[in-house]
Amino acid sequence: MNSRGAGTRSFRSRVVALVAAGSLALGVVAVSGAAAGAGTPGSPGTPARVAGAAAPKPGGSVTYGLEAETGGGWCPTTARLAISGIEVGAAIYDTLVVPNSKGEIVPYLAKSVEHDPTYQTWTITLRDGVKFHDGTPVDAAAVKLNIDAYKSSTLVGAALKDIDTVDVTAPNVVTVKTKVPWVAFAWFLYLDGRFLIVAPAQLANPDTCNSNLIGSGPFKLDHWTVNQELVANKNPDYWQKDAKGQKLPYLDSITFKPVAEAVQRVNGLQGGSLDIIHTSDGQQVDALLQKKSSFNEMYEQPGRREVRYYLMNEAKPPLDDFNARKAVALAIDRQQINQIRNDGVFTVADGPFDSSVTGYVKNPGYPKTNVPEAKKLADAYKAAHGGTFSVVLEHTNDPANVAEAQLIKEQLSKAGIDSTLKQDDQTAFIAAAVGGNFSIMLWRNHPGGDPDVNYQWWQTGSLLNFGKFADPELQTLLDQGRSELDPAKRKAIYQQVDKRFASQLYNVWAYYDAWMVAGKKTVNGFMGPALPDGGGQPLFIYGRHPLLGIYVTK
Amino acid sequence: MPDEPLQQFVGQAVDEGRPVDPGTIEISAVTTGPEVRRLRKKGLGIAGWLSIGWITLVVGLAVLAPVLPLDDPKDVTTAIARRGPFADAGTASGHLLGGDFNGRDMLSRLIWGGRTTLVVATLSVLIGFVLGGLLGLIGGYFRGWVDTVVSLLLDVLLAVPAVILALALVTILRTQPGTTSGGLDPELALILALGVVSIPVLGRITRASTLSWSEREFVTAARAQGAKHRRVIVREVLPNVLPAMYSIALLGIAVAIVAEGTLAILGASVEPDTPTWGNMIAIGRIQLERAPHIVFEPALMIFFTVLALNFLGDAIRALFDVREGAL
Amino acid sequence: MKTVARRLLQLVVVVLLSTLFAFSLLRLFPGDAADATIPYGTAAQKAQFRKDNGLDKPFLEQYGTWLGNLLQGDFGKDYQSNTQVADKLEAALPVSIALMLYAQIIALAVAIPLGVFTAYKVNTKSDKAINAGAFALLALPSFVLALALAFLVGVKWKPDIPLIGQLQVSGYSPGWLEPLFGQPGGDLGPHIATMLLPAISLAAGLIAVYMRLLRSDMIATLQENFITMARAKGLTDRRILWRHAFKPSSLTLLTVAGLNFGTLIGGALAVEIIFQIPGLGTLIYQAINARQIVELQSYIAIIAIGYVLINFVVDALYVVLDPRIRRSHA
Repeated sequence: MNSRGAGTRSFRSRVVALVAAGSLALGVVAVSGAAAGAGTPGSPGTPARVAGAAAPKPGGSVTYGLEAETGGGWCPTTARLAISGIEVGAAIYDTLVVPNSKGEIVPYLAKSVEHDPTYQTWTITLRDGVKFHDGTPVDAAAVKLNIDAYKSSTLVGAALKDIDTVDVTAPNVVTVKTKVPWVAFAWFLYLDGRFLIVAPAQLANPDTCNSNLIGSGPFKLDHWTVNQELVANKNPDYWQKDAKGQKLPYLDSITFKPVAEAVQRVNGLQGGSLDIIHTSDGQQVDALLQKKSSFNEMYEQPGRREVRYYLMNEAKPPLDDFNARKAVALAIDRQQINQIRNDGVFTVADGPFDSSVTGYVKNPGYPKTNVPEAKKLADAYKAAHGGTFSVVLEHTNDPANVAEAQLIKEQLSKAGIDSTLKQDDQTAFIAAAVGGNFSIMLWRNHPGGDPDVNYQWWQTGSLLNFGKFADPELQTLLDQGRSELDPAKRKAIYQQVDKRFASQLYNVWAYYDAWMVAGKKTVNGFMGPALPDGGGQPLFIYGRHPLLGIYVTK
Repeated sequence: MPDEPLQQFVGQAVDEGRPVDPGTIEISAVTTGPEVRRLRKKGLGIAGWLSIGWITLVVGLAVLAPVLPLDDPKDVTTAIARRGPFADAGTASGHLLGGDFNGRDMLSRLIWGGRTTLVVATLSVLIGFVLGGLLGLIGGYFRGWVDTVVSLLLDVLLAVPAVILALALVTILRTQPGTTSGGLDPELALILALGVVSIPVLGRITRASTLSWSEREFVTAARAQGAKHRRVIVREVLPNVLPAMYSIALLGIAVAIVAEGTLAILGASVEPDTPTWGNMIAIGRIQLERAPHIVFEPALMIFFTVLALNFLGDAIRALFDVREGAL
Repeated sequence: MKTVARRLLQLVVVVLLSTLFAFSLLRLFPGDAADATIPYGTAAQKAQFRKDNGLDKPFLEQYGTWLGNLLQGDFGKDYQSNTQVADKLEAALPVSIALMLYAQIIALAVAIPLGVFTAYKVNTKSDKAINAGAFALLALPSFVLALALAFLVGVKWKPDIPLIGQLQVSGYSPGWLEPLFGQPGGDLGPHIATMLLPAISLAAGLIAVYMRLLRSDMIATLQENFITMARAKGLTDRRILWRHAFKPSSLTLLTVAGLNFGTLIGGALAVEIIFQIPGLGTLIYQAINARQIVELQSYIAIIAIGYVLINFVVDALYVVLDPRIRRSHA
């Protein structure tokens, strides 16, 4: 019966070793491990941030937590960039122009952007000696290639429709002629940071164009593992220097990591795995504001914030009906949403423009919440349309957005409007908007540059007019605003635009989304140096900020 | 004295030259010799009665949910959003368990959530009980090639880890969220998915038990007397197999409750605004720092319910195994 | 041996059937799979999709082609980001494998001593207490533990562990397994800092199972004659426990541990989401969100094949290691 034979010595030691190894596994591994991660935030004695405390020293690297991966890549002909893609763009590429803190658009990669008195001929003069990462020059030919590429893209091209011709008139000069007087054309060479100037080599091969990132920016692409990380290393030949003559950028490398959930980005920052993050989530912004002493924070002030809104599809029932849209608009209680979703830190919006934008109207006539009235309209709609009034609330898969959608669903149900929730990752979300296959989308857009920059989002028949509304009166206003030379008249036109949105209810404006960039105490220089050639200070808008000025201290 | 139930299983498996089924091993690991004897003497004990009490409470609340004076689980009260237990917003009734992410009453959502969660878990295990039980009975009784086919089927269902199988089935079967095209109602898809996953679990225990019971003399005797197979299975074998099935079924409900939680975090449970314990955790997890109660209240519900179900499942098993040993 | 041959045949059949099931997911899908996968593609692209995935061919023929591709390493592609599934897997597999390994190591490291100890001290207060604790641990879902750890460690406590640093509740740092898959590796300290809490979350449930399994096996073994003989010989308790009783009692434990890799894959899904670990679970989650059914098919097939293979190996080892079986078939 001695089935269980005596163990051998070697087996015993193996077992002992197994258990010993098991319990010591972590210790053994730790001993052979390298040094630990960064220091803990909020350690006692951390001094309050003093402006310009430490002089920037070159070196170091940061990990940047972005809100999404840019699955579609960065090819001008196909890119669909949201803020995450735009921020990576700010590392690897330059734009011809940038907005400054006064709300003006000033030259950046370009040396100058000038127009004739009719605003129909634009002369872009480039700087000498600026090169792409592959050594080819940033010359007029390259820029023309870029403009042509963007013009040909289905999405960005919609914004550039009024460009007539693009010519190389000198090795460093591009002349653009527009079809109509285009007062704010220079803004369209920026497009919220999407108009990245890429090297001809990147454009040359359509198969690799979206992942073979070659720009003129402060950092060069090292590698991109989709959904994991994008690493960019210092461009030693970058064309900008800081005020003391030190070459920019300071950092040796940046690692971009997509972290979809805002709370996870904040956790990563607190835990130390992320050095710098961005977020426009109200609750997380509130949480970060309360932890101000532990981090370096840059919080967008009111004036040019983008707006969170519920984009309605006017091409499909039920929202092709004005009264149906009105029912939805009256049923949604934006104060409640702002309170619950954002801990009240943001401001309710009544139109697409924030307070510093030309065309902003304090009370444009957007209706106040009125649930009984909403119910009446909804009932009337149902009576005329077979008894159902249902919408789909589409949103990205951050649980905070899921919660916001549920809140809206509950509010709509009080007016008798049924809704179902649909969740997408960001790439599919954008695709749904473009494809027009949606009912209501929880969207975010219209950062406060020149109001004309919104033209293609609202133009009748534009691919970017996701809601597909066709409003001749609005279209006339948009066309007038584009070409109106008199600033006072222009302002009045855009004020009409604001009021038109309030009366036609194409979108339900919810609240202004303010961006916050937060980093460890050792990470500084979020906005970087002054713009070249006396352009002023860069503007923190739409969450985008330059990366060339970031430096780390000990 | 060797541990009877465990040795029986191991021995059986060894005799048949097959490895021991991990599912049955885990269960039998719970019931050890000394504990079996203790149960026989003391009956259920405090833990047992507490478990029965808890299950009764939870089931009772779930059943009575529509008639209880609860807030509407979808009703939003701004002031209590993410405020902890005993949050009173100056309204007539306090909110005993606080407000959830959007300001809905937690107590109400816990009870309604329990209702949906329990319905989903119970119905899916029921599917496993019926279909898996049927397969197990047939395979264990007839043996031979029938058993080979049944075993193969169960093995295939077990080849993909349960959560992943359930996730894949839910994703494929349900109406794509936000559309009206094809597919099932999300709750139905979930029940079916978890049901399919429960089939092999119930199937295996039924089969193992049937194999053992079919060899008994009274079964052979019944066959010798000319009883048809169906009669023998239903009259002689099934009643003896049922206790094991009940035990596993209770444990299976516990597992299904946890599986619903896992699927909810992956966004594959019922519609997100319909409360289930899993859905509540899935949304609440992004405010762990300032409103941990949103996660931990449903988490505790899951914990205690699973604990109680585990205990009762083991208790049934122990009771009936004791009887078996006495033969 | 007849048993081995039979098991091998069973293995092949199960692999075929389970991959068949995974493959048929695309066809089970109610609605147009092309519309779901590339909703904004052109008609030509959708036609190409149908052609590439055999939606226009006889079922079995395309299953054969698909299976052939799979076994050669062509796992299809993610149509949304236009990346090869194989590339994604290369990045994610070392993460998931490492996570499961750590969970098993932690579980065994805790469960084995506890199991032996409680078997030794059977029915004493400590035995009952530990048993009760294990029972409670069984009832704790891994995602609840994960959230609790994230809260207590990440938010409240924030300990600084020497050489590892602060434990992370969000994000992942590559480690030692990546180079085997052609990916850049990383320092061990930060790697463990991101993996420790997820591994513990997964290990807890396993600890309970393993401990109780080992305990009941040990209790049985300790009652055997040869143990009584060893005691009579005057051997110390510790020697008897570890040298004589543990080995024969550990077989079932090791079997179950091997088989539990499958359970771990499932449990890891939610834990990966909670701790933002980019493993296989995250890939599956993203594929579902992006409605990439072709991609999902491949993941399920791979997991099924892997799991069946592990089962087979564990079964074979069990047969080889357990003298009773070997003897009964000699």
